[in-house]
Amino acid sequence: MNEKPIVVVGAGHAGVHVATRLVELGWSGPTVLVDAEGTVPYERPPLSKDLLTESAPSAPPPLRRESYYLDKGIQTMLGVTAMAIDPEEGAVRLSDGGALPFHRLVLATGSTARTLPIPGANLEGVQFLKTLDDSQTLRNRLTPGTRVVVVGAGYIGMEVAAAAAKLGCDTTVLEFQDRVMSRVTSPVVSEHFRKLHEEHGVRFVFGAQASRFEGADHVTAVHTSDGMEYPADLVVIGVGVVPNQKLAEDAGLECSDGIMVDNHGRTSNPLIYAAGDVTRFQCPWEGVSRRLECVQNALAQADAVARHILGAPAKEPEIPWFWTIQHGVRLQTAGIRDPDDLAVVRGEPATGKFSILYLRNGDKLAAIDTVHSLSDFAAGKRLIAAGSHIDPIHAADPNVKLTQVAASMS
Amino acid sequence: MSKPIINVADREGYLHTLEWEPDTTLMETIRDNDLPILASCGGTASCATCHVYVQPKDNEQLASRSEDEDELLGETEAFRECESRLSCQIRFNPVLVGSTITLAPEE
Repeated sequence: MNEKPIVVVGAGHAGVHVATRLVELGWSGPTVLVDAEGTVPYERPPLSKDLLTESAPSAPPPLRRESYYLDKGIQTMLGVTAMAIDPEEGAVRLSDGGALPFHRLVLATGSTARTLPIPGANLEGVQFLKTLDDSQTLRNRLTPGTRVVVVGAGYIGMEVAAAAAKLGCDTTVLEFQDRVMSRVTSPVVSEHFRKLHEEHGVRFVFGAQASRFEGADHVTAVHTSDGMEYPADLVVIGVGVVPNQKLAEDAGLECSDGIMVDNHGRTSNPLIYAAGDVTRFQCPWEGVSRRLECVQNALAQADAVARHILGAPAKEPEIPWFWTIQHGVRLQTAGIRDPDDLAVVRGEPATGKFSILYLRNGDKLAAIDTVHSLSDFAAGKRLIAAGSHIDPIHAADPNVKLTQVAASMS
Repeated sequence: MSKPIINVADREGYLHTLEWEPDTTLMETIRDNDLPILASCGGTASCATCHVYVQPKDNEQLASRSEDEDELLGETEAFRECESRLSCQIRFNPVLVGSTITLAPEE
């Protein structure tokens, strides 16, 4: 019987799932879940979606019902921050003054919204969206007629712009690249979503680099490096995230824009694991190291960590997948595209239902973007995992099922 | 008064009798009772990790699958036309109380 607990720092998807999997896999020792936010651990994806547009402020769905943790013998320390790790002692020092010796430590500290190092970034009305607090503040500020400037046309920026437009805000999106969601999708999908947003009254400015926020104490405008000025009552910055790796770094764990872990979630210290957004790992398919900011990865890494701690066999790696909903239109992606992939359009974008297949080295399905086409998403994800080859001409016909396209190649 | 229950057969064939809180979905009830469904998307019909089989006689009485639910499930290998459902899309329903549902195989 181990007296020291398995300590999990961070109660997002990754941290909660580590605790859950430990229980499910039969861990009989104590588990402690420490989180700086003082709320019952909650689902983050709705913060930038439904929660922004609901008429009354509401809480996001909890990851587990409140009584779950106590029922399962998982001790929660909510509103407590892990301040430092003492690797020699094998203990975590906490903001409440205590020190928690651990049997194993799991860092699931997530990420923080990236800031912009430009003048005026601390003005009132310049906001990020990462936590429940951020979401609730934003929801209260998105009122009809408010001039909203969103900096960055990634998932978060686009979801906020959709919510702002729906709530009657005067909405402008400034993007440094020449199209929306350029990091995650191909030009055809970018174009589809740009048009969709414009039909709902959102303005886009591409090639725009924010250089200064203006205002006495509250922001009144955003200036860009080309000398333009965009009046604003509210600015939302969505330019990516940085991993919360300070605890790990200070403890001497190997970090490089993320805590380095192997496929079991092991860090460079054999007693310490990490999972979720905060990690960087060697991607099993591509031979490159990645950070992945998605629920799928958080859950898969959490499962791998729990298994390794308890000596249970590891599972096969999963294909990562992502989703976003903007103006009610659902974009779901499986796999990770490379800009050099051959992009095959399947179906007619103008119909609002289509997919893009990303073929690597000519015909190997590496990733798929699906717009309102969950059958292609489900089939595509399975075919990617199976390493399927696809005939590009055949695949472009939406009347032929994807699984049939793949079968005809084998 | 006794609490409403639902019986869930897991993937090894064991039957679990769970209390079903009336303000929760079937997915939440299954997940919070340690049965192995991931429900990655948090109940938004974006994945198919909460796939269950509902007996045809019960399923007939539920609202039919939405287009999203139908597309997601229709492409899973374990799909059964008259039984497959995403448990996140099934809110508490007296029709199902006391009946037995089965976890579909993992993808």
